[in-house]
Amino acid sequence: MTALPTISPASLAVSPLRFVDRTLPNGLRALLVPDRRVPAVAINVAYRVGGKDDPLGRSGFAHLFEHLMFKGTSDTAPETIDRLTEDVGGYNNAFTTEDITNYYEVVPSNHLERLLWAEADRLGSLQVNADNFATERDVVIGEYDQRILAEPYGMLDELVNRESYVVHPYRRGVIGSPDELNAAALADVVAFHATYYRPDNALLAVAGDLDIEETWRWIERWFGPIAAPSTPIPRVTVVEPPQTAERTYTYRAANVPLPAVEESYHIPAAAHPDAAALDVLEAILSAGRSSRLYQSLIYRNPLASSAFAGADLREQPGLFGVRVTCARGIALADARAALDVELDRVRTQAPSEDELARIGTQIASSLVRQRQTNSGVALALIRATLERGDPTLVNRDLDRYLAVTADDVLRVARTYLRPENRTVIEYLPA
Amino acid sequence: MPSAGPPREGTIPDAVERTLDNGLRVVAFEQRNLPLIAAQLVVRCGGAASEGESEAGLAALTAALLTQGTSERGATELAAAADALGARLDASSGYDASVASCSATTPAFPSALALLDEIVRNPAFADREVERVRTKSISDLTLTYANPSSLARLVAQRVAYAGAPYGHPVAGTAQTLATLTGERVRWFHERAYRPDDAVLILGGDVSVEDAFALAQRELGAWRAPQSPCVQPPAGGIPPPRARVVVVDKPDAGRTAIVAGRVAIQRASDEYYAGVVATSVLAGYSGRLNQEIRVKRGLSYGAGASLGARRMPGLFSASTLVEHTRAAEATAVTLAAIRSLVDAPADDADLVTRKATVTGGFFRSVETVDGVANALAEHVLYEVPLEELHVFARRIEAVDAAAVRAFAQRRLVDDEFVVLIGDADKFVAALDPAYGPVRVIPFPALDLGSPTLGG
Repeated sequence: MTALPTISPASLAVSPLRFVDRTLPNGLRALLVPDRRVPAVAINVAYRVGGKDDPLGRSGFAHLFEHLMFKGTSDTAPETIDRLTEDVGGYNNAFTTEDITNYYEVVPSNHLERLLWAEADRLGSLQVNADNFATERDVVIGEYDQRILAEPYGMLDELVNRESYVVHPYRRGVIGSPDELNAAALADVVAFHATYYRPDNALLAVAGDLDIEETWRWIERWFGPIAAPSTPIPRVTVVEPPQTAERTYTYRAANVPLPAVEESYHIPAAAHPDAAALDVLEAILSAGRSSRLYQSLIYRNPLASSAFAGADLREQPGLFGVRVTCARGIALADARAALDVELDRVRTQAPSEDELARIGTQIASSLVRQRQTNSGVALALIRATLERGDPTLVNRDLDRYLAVTADDVLRVARTYLRPENRTVIEYLPA
Repeated sequence: MPSAGPPREGTIPDAVERTLDNGLRVVAFEQRNLPLIAAQLVVRCGGAASEGESEAGLAALTAALLTQGTSERGATELAAAADALGARLDASSGYDASVASCSATTPAFPSALALLDEIVRNPAFADREVERVRTKSISDLTLTYANPSSLARLVAQRVAYAGAPYGHPVAGTAQTLATLTGERVRWFHERAYRPDDAVLILGGDVSVEDAFALAQRELGAWRAPQSPCVQPPAGGIPPPRARVVVVDKPDAGRTAIVAGRVAIQRASDEYYAGVVATSVLAGYSGRLNQEIRVKRGLSYGAGASLGARRMPGLFSASTLVEHTRAAEATAVTLAAIRSLVDAPADDADLVTRKATVTGGFFRSVETVDGVANALAEHVLYEVPLEELHVFARRIEAVDAAAVRAFAQRRLVDDEFVVLIGDADKFVAALDPAYGPVRVIPFPALDLGSPTLGG
């Protein structure tokens, strides 16, 4: 066999991202990353509000609201953002997570000021009427149909959140329920905008072909006049009590083709010191074809169609999920028995140094790939700031992962992957 | 609203082509923004169109097995080697080609390319791996068929092409996969994977000269076999014919709709007009999404695509709706396509749609993998590489008359419609003007049959 030279993950370090971090007097924070190789620029505006902040009885509201932000302002018609992006060869979209709502555009760089103006405009003066409110609510229910109802395992994601949390609003997920979406009224929209869409709850990240001082002047000009209300921003303070016993549920649905199981374990927040070791644990279990779940449940024994582990690290304590979908003709109990063996292994034996080095190289390579696009860079800064509290963390991530030891991985597996800390959902054909 | 400043021009790296002594064409490019290099080996006669109808899935099975062990390494060792490099190493099939690819950071790339060479030239095709991948492929079909949108795409290919190449599913069917053996895989590999009919695209954080040197070092010793290249079977594509096919799947969460027609080849003179015409319908601001989502809230989204291939590919429009509104959505979809002729876009409308096309194109070549993909498409369809540099100009040159003429000739009239969903809830409401509706109960559906069974 031709021996391949080993690659040291440290040799893959890319140069640090250089960015400026400034805040307007009204509290709007801006992160600017000049990179002039391509004449395009990515603009992200993230608000610290997500599914967990949905008003009571209005699950899905933060996400519905995201859609309404495209429906016009006192100065502009609905879909103005599409005109300013698509029509000049750019694009725009937005997404809502449990913790944040992020709006983004990629445009030729000569259009940067116009998009900063448009983002400031919809932060300052959103105006939604009854007609486009009703139509857009139908669109969101259509999104629920597509992602939750038509997608065979779509509902399982919702069930994981609902059953894993007892009191924390993460239990409501992001998309919400059609009933509660239908209960939402135009008055809720106005109140939500006033509560969360304010400069001191927004983070702007701009990456690409830009001049820092010129961009900052534009930000001052367009975002500067927007006043921050003096009222405090409501924050979720509910703390999920520690789980003390395993919970098991069985659900059935007519469109489930093959039995599946998800085990979800409570883990700490993204800013917790154990987060890096949990990401490494995820990679050991399921990154690439050499990962343990692939090898034992798919390759060596054909038990599963797919087998994944994922550290879903959030602003507040999240979940480490392990999901196995059976191969055709395999009983769920047999797939679960093989999964238990692998989970026992990570709880009882530290990974080898070789395995850890391989994971380090995989993670380092993926950090390099993330730098390939301006939008990838801007989003990494947004997430580091809003989920972990500090944008400069993007420049320390490689070191943070390389500092994870075999004992750290064993310790986090023992600490969090305990049966009494998990919720198990078996999801079966009707 | 502030006005836009003066635009800056985008650039695309120059591609340089040379042929190695063994006949392998190599296309190299330099794009040094990050320490990443990518390679794609385009196996031109190795696509699913080259396999017989009764062996549907042979090309895909062959490609999937490349990463499952070589004469030097078993599947596990191979996976560990690639992962230890932080490399991506993959192989997959489409109708017109199979592609084996690798990408890695600059220091890891030479070793990743050595692995690519190893899987392409010396795959083991061990019996137990053939059995394992075949079983998994059959199992995975169960998942594909459970999603109405995925199933609708497969049924649409059959309705459009029947028994011609592109009619059968690339992934095969449970019946065809069950008949495929290691011997057939080796047969296909020997005839399709050969330096005299493949093209290697290689570029990124590397000079063009170093790229050629790497290609020569790793793949220079690859020799072409005596056996002839596997040939796509000659099969005439049936003429477009209006028809409605419903697959009755009461357990589907929603109804998936695909309307379409066989349109044009990638090398066609009409290609750029076709791209612009499709863009009038596709995208968030395209007519389909405007009519279906923005005006009526019928669906989360609707889109259109033009699958230009070696032979005429499929134009299709698709959406996903509540069962009870499937008839309405079908009418809206067909009317949107028809509007390209009845209410044609004028030159002013086209300015923005063309900007969407060229903007998307420039973004697609932002990454080294994106440049490699674009070059691979040109190579595969025998479009001169220089066309990549004039893409934006070609799109700009398309006018309203060309778009309307394309739609008239290639898109409107004689579209087929495929609906996958709870038939009882919409069949009676379908416009009788579409003609007879064929309803196939899902258990009777056979994608292995040119007529879909039944």
